[in-house]
Amino acid sequence: MSCQELERLRGSGAPESERTAHRAACIACEAIGAGIDPIESLTAELVQPAWSASLRDALLAVPEKTVSCENAGLLIAARLEAETGEPFSGTAADRSRLDFHLSRCDGCREAWETLSGIPFLEAPRPAPWVAERLSAARPTRRRRRWMGILDPRAAIGFAYGAAVVVMLAGFNPADLARKAGANLRSETRTAAAAARGSLADRVGAFEDRTSRAFAVWRGRVGGYGRAALSNVIALVMRTEDTPPPSRPRNGEERAPQKNENENATPTWRA
Amino acid sequence: MNGNEDKSLVERCRKGDDDAWRELVDRFGPRVYSVAYHFTLKREDAEELSQEIFLKIFENLDRYDGGFPLIAWIVSISRNLCIDRYRRRKREKSFRFVSDDAVLPLLKSTDDPSAEALRKERTKMLFSALAEIPDDLAEILVLRDLDGLAYEEIGRALALPDGTVKSRLFRARAEVAKKIRERHESRGGNVLTSIAMAAGAFV
Repeated sequence: MSCQELERLRGSGAPESERTAHRAACIACEAIGAGIDPIESLTAELVQPAWSASLRDALLAVPEKTVSCENAGLLIAARLEAETGEPFSGTAADRSRLDFHLSRCDGCREAWETLSGIPFLEAPRPAPWVAERLSAARPTRRRRRWMGILDPRAAIGFAYGAAVVVMLAGFNPADLARKAGANLRSETRTAAAAARGSLADRVGAFEDRTSRAFAVWRGRVGGYGRAALSNVIALVMRTEDTPPPSRPRNGEERAPQKNENENATPTWRA
Repeated sequence: MNGNEDKSLVERCRKGDDDAWRELVDRFGPRVYSVAYHFTLKREDAEELSQEIFLKIFENLDRYDGGFPLIAWIVSISRNLCIDRYRRRKREKSFRFVSDDAVLPLLKSTDDPSAEALRKERTKMLFSALAEIPDDLAEILVLRDLDGLAYEEIGRALALPDGTVKSRLFRARAEVAKKIRERHESRGGNVLTSIAMAAGAFV
């Protein structure tokens, strides 16, 4: 079992003399050191394997084979544009480099497959009940034929026609319009006041009915609630046995038993 | 080369500067090939792995921020790819057999055939023992003693403190020594001669 001093001395870069001195004093460390020394000397003798010129050429050609991940993103964007009909902004070499990169880079391949799959996504389809609800919500009232007079062009035509008839009848349309306007203002004001009063009456009646109904329901709910609460309390508090007499506390005497006669209500017979 | 120079070199490579890429390959290619070779012990595999490593380096140049030496970043990528290959190879077949051809590129040529044969046997035994010890110990020994990386570079590459690197290196050497001793014992030598041979096997 080593005392680990040799390991500490080696780790701290202690001089060779110090290590030798410790090994001379410690049999375990001497055994370990004797095993390690030849390995160190052997590895020191070994040379690094020579790389070939063909390997160097292959390594120099790496930029012609592939692209970096950051450039792959740009080339992916260019290729996506090309797939929509735009001309590919890169070269044929760029295309093959991107292909090579995509064949070996999981992240970029995932990005490419995701983006290139976008045109093939299905349009979102609503649930069947959506169409039914929309058709049910659409007003089905047909446009009546007489509603055609509300068309602005038709209204202008009618107005011109009426003016011509009035002029042919010997009236000045402008005077008629002034008189009609004056009457119209007063009549409109009267009608608006009546409508306002009617609306106020209806709203007041509605409020009255609502408050009454609310008071009735509140009373009912409160009554039922109180009844339910009292039932619950009765169920919880109900006990079959009489509770045991309370134990006297320290320093207290037992409470005197209640005398039935004392508690009896005095009557005129007693 | 400091971090700023490393970052400048990487920036030039990212911009498509061929000279910068050539500089990067010439500076780090031999080291990467060495790492790959020590993991695979086969020239073809090491060359293929080196190309794979440099493809990975080129594709990820934007991820180097210059915060630590470029060699540590490159070794980290190399090591990850090597470990993938190394583990796969270990699963496929036993990695304990080391051929003569595997160790020849690691030996200096000498005029003494017997000494060369002895060194070859010892080197084979070294790699066999490395295959038997835990991976986290073996890789430290390979990176330090065979690839010649500094403690700090190993620590950066493996995300370990220097103290841990040193401690693991010591244990790796001790484990290798133990494996070699056990191999001698299994060859029929008694305990005393095994220890003696282990101690003097490489002297």
